[in-house]
Amino acid sequence: MAKKASRVVDVRAAVDAASGPLQEAAGTLAGMEVTLRNMVRATVERKHVTIQYPEQRKPYSRRFRGVHVLTLRDDGRLKCTACYLCETVCPAQCITIEAMDVEDPTVEKAPSVYEIDLSRCIFCGFCVEACPEEALIMSREYDLSATSREPERLTYGISALTQRPEIAAYGAGFRPHMDYPLVESYLPSAVPGPDGRAKAKK
Amino acid sequence: MPMVTIDGRQIEVEPGTSIIQAADRLGVEIPRFCYHPDLRPEGNCRMCLVEVDGFARLAVACATPVADGMVVRSPHTSPQASQAVNGVLEFLLVNHPLDCPICDQAGECSLQDFYMHPDYGLHKSHVDPAEKVHKRKRIDLGPRIVLDAERCVMCSRCVRFSADVSGKAELQFIQRGNHVELMAFEDRALEDPYAGNLADVCPVGALTSRDFRFKRRVWHLEHTNSVCAGCSTGCNVRIDHFQNHIERVVPRRNPSVNSSWICDEGRLSWQAAQGGERLTQPASGGGYPPEIRWSEAVKAAHELLTDRGERPLAVLGSASATNETLLLLRRYAEQAHSEHWLDFRLAEEVQLVGEREDQLLRRRDKHPNTLGAVYLGLAGARGGLPAMLEAAQTGEIGALLLVYYPPLVGEESAGVAEGIARLLANVPRSVVLTTHRLPYLQGAALQLPVAAWSEEEGTYTNFAGTVQVVERAIIPPGMSRPATAVLADLVEHQVYRRPDADAERLFAELARTVPAYQGMDYAMLDSRTATTYPPEGRMHYGQEGFAGR
Ligand code: SF4
Ligand code: SF4
Ligand code: SF4
Ligand code: SF4
Ligand code: FES
Repeated sequence: MAKKASRVVDVRAAVDAASGPLQEAAGTLAGMEVTLRNMVRATVERKHVTIQYPEQRKPYSRRFRGVHVLTLRDDGRLKCTACYLCETVCPAQCITIEAMDVEDPTVEKAPSVYEIDLSRCIFCGFCVEACPEEALIMSREYDLSATSREPERLTYGISALTQRPEIAAYGAGFRPHMDYPLVESYLPSAVPGPDGRAKAKK
Repeated sequence: MPMVTIDGRQIEVEPGTSIIQAADRLGVEIPRFCYHPDLRPEGNCRMCLVEVDGFARLAVACATPVADGMVVRSPHTSPQASQAVNGVLEFLLVNHPLDCPICDQAGECSLQDFYMHPDYGLHKSHVDPAEKVHKRKRIDLGPRIVLDAERCVMCSRCVRFSADVSGKAELQFIQRGNHVELMAFEDRALEDPYAGNLADVCPVGALTSRDFRFKRRVWHLEHTNSVCAGCSTGCNVRIDHFQNHIERVVPRRNPSVNSSWICDEGRLSWQAAQGGERLTQPASGGGYPPEIRWSEAVKAAHELLTDRGERPLAVLGSASATNETLLLLRRYAEQAHSEHWLDFRLAEEVQLVGEREDQLLRRRDKHPNTLGAVYLGLAGARGGLPAMLEAAQTGEIGALLLVYYPPLVGEESAGVAEGIARLLANVPRSVVLTTHRLPYLQGAALQLPVAAWSEEEGTYTNFAGTVQVVERAIIPPGMSRPATAVLADLVEHQVYRRPDADAERLFAELARTVPAYQGMDYAMLDSRTATTYPPEGRMHYGQEGFAGR
C-alpha cells in the first residue's frame, strides 16, 4: 500500500489562531445548534420527541418481553411442572426452582419455590421459549423499579408472578406460540397479593 | 487368544469375552439396555444387534462370544444393524410416556441418548400419543425407590440385580405383551439394604431414587470421584454436587473392590458428614471464644500441648482420618518425643477390619482407613483407648491430642463415647480436632474444626490394603480446614518449618517411608483409574452434557 505523504502541522499555532473570545462564543453557539433548533421546535411549533411518562405511555408490541407471568390451570393451580428447563436455559442464571411431590396422582411434581431475580434478568425470553407447557409467559409490564437494594426486592416468587394487579393491567406479552390464542383462564386474575405489589415469600 | 475386528479395528481378547465387552474395550459404542458388566447376560432387549460376517442373521453383541477372526460391524457402520436397532428402539418407545421434562432420569437416560443418536435413532413414531397403553406410575417401593411402570423398557437388569446380586429377589414382571409391567410382590416396600443400586442399574427413569427425587436436574451436577468412608470396604463412589452442596452419591465401577454397587448406608453417609451440628470455629472449654483466628487457635493448641512438664503427650488418631493426616500426626508425636504414646484404636477396629457384615460389600469395621493406621505404626504397644484412659486416671499423661471423626454409618458405640469423655475429663490439657460438636467432646480444653469426608483430599487404605484417593468435592463449612493443614501448623510450631500439607506430596513421603506403600505413585492410585459404568465420557452416564452451566 502506498503511504500518504505526511504533512507537518503546527498544532499550537493553529489553536492560537482559532481562539479568542469571539471565536469561543461562536463555537459555543454552533455547538448548541441542535439544542436551539429543538427548543424552537418544541416551544414554537410544539412538536415533542419525548412523552410525559408516566402520565403518558406509548403502545408496545403484543410480543413485548416484560415481567414474567406464571400461567394457571383451570383449577387455579400453576401449570408449571418444575421441569427446570427455564432455569437451565437462562443465561443470567436468575431462576431458582425447587420441586415437590403433590397429592394429585396425575401430577408428577410441582414447584414449591419458583423465583426470578428480576434485577439480574436480561429479558431475553429464552425461559419462555424453553417452557414445554406455556407455563411461563411474559407480560407487557416494563416499569420495574425498587427504591432500595433490600435483599430480594426484585426477586419475584410464585405469588408475585401470578397475583399482582399489574399483570392484568399490562396484559400478556411474548409467548412462543403467538399465533395460538391465549386461553383466558391461563392468565391470573387481577387479585392483589396479600401485600399488594409485594413479592412472594420464600 | 481370539482376535476380533470391530468396525475395522482389531483387538485380542480372552476366550469367552462377548462382542460387547470387546467393543467396550475398543471404545466402540454399542447401544444396550439389558447388558450390564456386573450382571449375568440375558440378551432380551435386542438393542445390541450387530452384523457379523458369516452369520445369516444379526447377532446380539452382549450374548455372543467372540471367535478368532470374527469380523463385526456395529450400527455405526452397518446399515442393516442400524435399521434393526432403529426398529427395536421404535418398539420400545411405542408405549413410552412423554415424560422426559418431568423424569428424573432425563439427562442420563439411555433411551433419550439412543433415540437422539444419528446412527440408529431419530425415527418417526407411528403411534398416536392418545393410543399409548398406560401403566401405573409413582409406585412407592419403600424408603429408597420409586417405580414408574410406564417408563420401564423390560430390560430386567433390576430383576437380575435383586435375584443374583443382593439375593432378595423382590422384583418380577407380570402380564404379557403390551401390558408387561414390573412389580414388587404386592407392591411391598423393598427390604434390600442395597436397593439404592436399582435406580443406578435401571437405564431409564422407571426406578428412581427417592432420596434424590426432584432435587436437581442431572445436567446441573458437578462430579467428583471419591471413596466411601462408611466402612473398611472402601467402595468407589462419585459425589454429585451443586453449588457446594452434595446432592447424591452414586457408585463407580471398580471390579476389584465393589463391582458397580454400594450399600444404602454408604450412599446416604454424606448426610451424616454434612448433617448434625458441625463445629465451624475453634471452641474452648465447650464454648466459642469470640472472633478467634486460626493463628491464635493454633498457638493456643501448641501451648496446651507443650506446657506439660515432664509428663508425656498422648496422641490418639482416627481410623477415619486420611493416611496423610495420620502421617502428620505421627510426625507431631515423634517431634514431641511421644511416639510411644501414639495410638488410634478406640474399639476393636483392627480385629473387625476384614470381617464381613453380609455377603456383598458391608464390613463390620465402620472406618475407612484402619489398615492405613496400622501400616503407619499407630497401633503400638499402648493398647488403645482403654490403656490411655488407665494412664490418664493415674495422672501419667501430661497432655492429649485427639483426632476424632464421628462414624458416617451408624452411631458411635456408647463405650467409646464414654471412654473419650472420661479421657478428656482426666487430661485437662487436651486438644481435639473434630468435624462435629459432640457432647462427649465438650470436656476438651480446645476443639479445632476440621474438614469432613468429601471436603478434603487424601488416601484411604481399605481392608484389603488397596490404597484409594478421595478427592475434595465441596468446601468445608465455616472456619474448618483440612486436618492436614491444621497439623502442619502445629508441626510448624514445633520445628519452625512448615511441612507440606498437600496430599500428593504427603503421599510421596508415605511411599518413601512406609514399606506397604513402597513404589506407589499418587497419580496412579486406584480410585483415579476406576471407571463409571459405562466408562467415563461414554453414553448416558457421567457425561458433561451441559458443562457450560
Ligand atoms: S428472560 Fe432471559 S434472563 Fe430473564 S429469566 Fe428468562 S431466560 Fe433468564
Ligand atoms: S420450563 Fe415451564 S414447566 Fe418447566 S420449570 Fe420452567 S416454567 Fe415450569
Ligand atoms: S425414561 Fe428416559 S425417555 Fe423415558 S421419560 Fe424418562 S428421560 Fe424420557
Ligand atoms: S425397571 Fe428399569 S431396570 Fe428394571 S426392567 Fe424396567 S427398565 Fe429395566
Ligand atoms: S444388551 Fe444385548 S440384548 Fe440387551
